[in-house]
Amino acid sequence: MSAKEELLKRMSDGVVDMEEEDVAEAAQEFIDAGYPALEGIMEGLIDGMNRTSVLFEEEEYFVTDVLLCSDAMYAGLNVLKPYLPEEDPETKKKAVIGVVEGDTHDIGKNLVKIMMETAGFEMIDLGRDVPLQKFVDTAKETHADLVCLSTLMTTTMSGMKTVIDLLKEAGIRDQVKVMVGGGPVSKNYADKIGADGYSQNAVEAVRLAKDLLCMA
Amino acid sequence: MLTPKERLKTVLSGERADRTPCICPGGMMNMITEELMKTVQIYLPQAHTDPKMMAGLARAVYDQGCFENYGVPFCMTIEAEEMGAQVDLGSSIYEPHVTGYVIDTVSGWERLPQIRPEHGRAGVVLEAIRILKQEGTDVPIVGNLTGPVSTASSLMEPVVFYKELRKKNADAHAFLQFVTDQLIRFGKAQIEAGADVIALSDPSATGEILGPKFFEEFTVRYVNQIVDAMKEAGAQTIVHICGHMNPVYREVDEIHSDALSFDSVVPMKEARASLGERTLMGNVSTYTLEFGDPEKVETLTENCIKNGSDIIAPACGLGMRSPLANIRAVLQAVRKEEDDA
Repeated sequence: MSAKEELLKRMSDGVVDMEEEDVAEAAQEFIDAGYPALEGIMEGLIDGMNRTSVLFEEEEYFVTDVLLCSDAMYAGLNVLKPYLPEEDPETKKKAVIGVVEGDTHDIGKNLVKIMMETAGFEMIDLGRDVPLQKFVDTAKETHADLVCLSTLMTTTMSGMKTVIDLLKEAGIRDQVKVMVGGGPVSKNYADKIGADGYSQNAVEAVRLAKDLLCMA
Repeated sequence: MLTPKERLKTVLSGERADRTPCICPGGMMNMITEELMKTVQIYLPQAHTDPKMMAGLARAVYDQGCFENYGVPFCMTIEAEEMGAQVDLGSSIYEPHVTGYVIDTVSGWERLPQIRPEHGRAGVVLEAIRILKQEGTDVPIVGNLTGPVSTASSLMEPVVFYKELRKKNADAHAFLQFVTDQLIRFGKAQIEAGADVIALSDPSATGEILGPKFFEEFTVRYVNQIVDAMKEAGAQTIVHICGHMNPVYREVDEIHSDALSFDSVVPMKEARASLGERTLMGNVSTYTLEFGDPEKVETLTENCIKNGSDIIAPACGLGMRSPLANIRAVLQAVRKEEDDA
């Protein structure tokens, strides 16, 4: 294994093993050795997150594990990002994400955000307990491709339908895809309120987002 | 025929009753809807802070033919609020929710105030239970507690909390022990005030979030401390766990409660097959209760019983816009057993 491959493996393994400091160190050594930052991100950090996703789907890893893996990934990303060549911001797909008004449970939303960021989406995170009109306004201002709505509570679920209605009123419903998720939400509910898709977990959410936007 | 209170008590004791009980505990398992509030002219959010109104709404659930119990409170923020969290009481359609945390790490738990059960909205709950107790003895009063993990993750940022379960394991345990002791104090006060049953929901402590190891180490351990203390104080207990049970059936079975309740993602047949003789509660889809029709609700209810549910209840909190006709259909379906008997 070459020195470069070894560093990539250290980053990838470090993400899977939740070793935040070692990932940051390996990333620094990678840069110091003059290797390209993008390669470090794609074949080290993202590779580690992809392996984490597989473990999550296989129920080897759970939400608490994925959160720590993503911390390790972000630690490496903070080191490598400044060395990335300027990239055209127009090429990235944009997604507005948030927990609908009345609900402050955002663990699922955060997980989806992490996974989608890992997959190359630009995520505009509105946080939790988000006024419904704000999803629409932000989608309009940022020319977002996707609106991702989450809630964990039955009582706030109907806010998702309101957002879809508001998108129609604002005349941009056909410019964005709407995906929904969260504890009480189901494929049935998504269909009923006219959302474009439902995903049961964060890994599925990435696949769904790519499907909806016809990305490879 | 048994009274609703005798019936629930019998089934929670693991015995057969004249028919299946039909309840909705309250707490996380919200049973207040817009139509119910309009019917009795008592409204949220006011009823969250007024014991007479709280008791009035709880009573309306029974009087209007929805469920055969009284249950208070109607949210899961009281415990965290008493320990210093900022809470937005919501509106007639939004439940109260936490808007401001108290600590930023599990290590900061010593700064948290203790729950004083007669104080604030905890006191409102106790007073509401006393009012309900005076009104009759036939209807079981269900007091509610927010589970230890959900309460703890309402006192600080959940993402940090979940990470620190591993990173600061000893402090996380000390924090959860403190929270558990407070919940026991509030639970005991509810029993002293007149609660017959304590229902505990811990939606932030699912097997899907924590995985089997942490579920056992944090959820089962502290939930059992509470359940044991409630039993010792003379109440029966129901524990509701959200999410899929597949990763954690073995661990769930270690929970000492008289009944276990699941949400609608858990097929009742699967739960029955996995949990043998345990008393199971649930799990009529709240989606159908809000968007279906009474016939559909009746069919679902009958299927729940057929598939092994011992106590019929909604799978989760009711959506505020669920029609009363749909909610009443649950009890109507359960009552058919009387005709068959």
